[in-house]
Amino acid sequence: MPGPPARLPPDHLPPDHPADLTRKAVRAMSPPATATAMTAPTAQPARRARGAAGDALFRAAALFAALFVLISLSAAALSMLYGGLPALMKFGLGFLYHVAWNPVRQDFGAAVPIYGTLLSSALAMLIAVPVSFGIAIFLTEVSPRRLRGPIAAAIELLAGIPSIIYGMWGLFVFVPYMSDHIEPWLTDHLGDLPLLGALFQGPPLGIGMLTAGIILGVMIIPFISSVMRDVFALVPPSLREAAFALGATRWEVVSGVVLPYTRTAVVGGIFLGLGRALGETMAVTFVLGNAHELSASLLMPGNSIAAAIANEFTEADSDIYLSSLIALGFLLFVVTFIVLAAAKIMLLRLARNEGN
Amino acid sequence: MMLGIATETATAATLTDAVPARISMRDLEFFYGANRALKGINLDLPERQITGMIGPSGCGKSTLLRVLNRMYDLYPGQRATGQVWMDGVNILDDGIELNYLRSRVGMVFQKPTPFAMSIYNNIAFGVRLHESLGKAAMDERVEWSLTRAALWDEAKDRLNSSALGLSGGQQQRLCIARTIAVRPEVILFDEPTSALDPISTLKIEELLDELKKDFTIAIVTHNMQQAARCADQVAFFYLGELVEVGAAAQIFTAPTQKRTQEYITGRFG
Repeated sequence: MPGPPARLPPDHLPPDHPADLTRKAVRAMSPPATATAMTAPTAQPARRARGAAGDALFRAAALFAALFVLISLSAAALSMLYGGLPALMKFGLGFLYHVAWNPVRQDFGAAVPIYGTLLSSALAMLIAVPVSFGIAIFLTEVSPRRLRGPIAAAIELLAGIPSIIYGMWGLFVFVPYMSDHIEPWLTDHLGDLPLLGALFQGPPLGIGMLTAGIILGVMIIPFISSVMRDVFALVPPSLREAAFALGATRWEVVSGVVLPYTRTAVVGGIFLGLGRALGETMAVTFVLGNAHELSASLLMPGNSIAAAIANEFTEADSDIYLSSLIALGFLLFVVTFIVLAAAKIMLLRLARNEGN
Repeated sequence: MMLGIATETATAATLTDAVPARISMRDLEFFYGANRALKGINLDLPERQITGMIGPSGCGKSTLLRVLNRMYDLYPGQRATGQVWMDGVNILDDGIELNYLRSRVGMVFQKPTPFAMSIYNNIAFGVRLHESLGKAAMDERVEWSLTRAALWDEAKDRLNSSALGLSGGQQQRLCIARTIAVRPEVILFDEPTSALDPISTLKIEELLDELKKDFTIAIVTHNMQQAARCADQVAFFYLGELVEVGAAAQIFTAPTQKRTQEYITGRFG
């Protein structure tokens, strides 16, 4: 091995080397304008200019990325509106609450699909929110450390199943089970209740609102539970310990401290799931029954906006039929927007009540 | 059990023999997995006095506090052996009801930990865990504890606004109020002023002096002056051992152990 060099090149001096300190002092003492003859200071403005240009470029790129979202969103919404305009013109506001959907008589109304979309999503939330909450609590508060990884991985796998698989599984496995076991039981035990009984009447077809709601619920559990798990894990241990130190039980810590602390993100996660449930197409199409009928019973087939579009697009043989389907698509936009906006407003109000 | 504690205390060598012990630790050992963090601790916390625990980082003093309210139970792999006597009961026993124990042995942490709710609810939260009070009684309890924590004047007009809007020192006093609202008998302070400015620190130290009229207090501190100012009894820990315990004046003026003297004169730590 060669010995150490007798003298290091000036640029490789250690930072606190006397020679380096002198150079720094010289640089600090002489302002760049008067020191143009020196090589080092002249390099500075050039570098700064390059940095400024890079900064501008970076800003433009980020701006473009942000605008891209807005542009594609409004482009999609506007083209849907444009395509649906003939139907909206012909049926007017009545399109929103008109129950009929009759291709033969060219008479279309969106009440059934809108109702179906909202109801199936509501059922899905009813199932998915408590289960997701349980999963997240188990993973962050209760489960032994070595179980956390496998369960978390299983949930992510659940999120990775394509919706067509859910639809096929729903139709070939879950629907027969519903019609043989669960729905007859529901009709027998709950069908005679006053008011509530109307929800559980009718033949046990298997396909219908309830089945669609359950499948949808299973589909959105991974989204809601992983958001909840992530935000629960972010609660500072000191806060948790402080609650335990007051003598709180595990449940009291979760309900009194963890949930209030993470409320905003939890509601956000719930609405992320709701957004997916509202727009879910394939799985719902398989098990919902695609009947344009308004029925009080959860056991009866119905229709949803996304399912109607997917099912009937290829059959739309007249301009007004096609336009009505596109108008449905536009309404799905509007419904989703309203739901998410309502969530945002609710969160703001929560924050204001809390005095933040 | 009662007999047990009587003989234990009688044999314990403390310098505050005149005052009965509220908590007595005997042969206390603590383990993080296989790592022994406390070695054979024998220490009494005299009733309604302040015990200051000093020593370099990692000497086991915070660990000791976390034994006294069984906080370590939250974490698998941590365990304590020996005895910690309180009212004739060994609180290390398996059958101890932890929620009840923690309502009697409160704790204030290094960093203020207000919950994301109103000032009023921060205090009511702890009370509701153990008692069901009517509105009037709860109001009274909130006022009482905020007054005891010297926060009432600053907080009375904003009880329903978020506790997160308080300053750091106010938040720490809120945490103290929250702890005393449960009406514990012992309060553990784990470096309660290390995240605070000097004025807030002073307020909390004055508060400690006020609180010891009703509560038995143990305080871990890195600040030697603080221990000298506040504590009646001081315990010096080093590498998991209790090196020396005695009246504050004696420890700071005439320590009997060389290591104590080296630490308090700033030779190490």
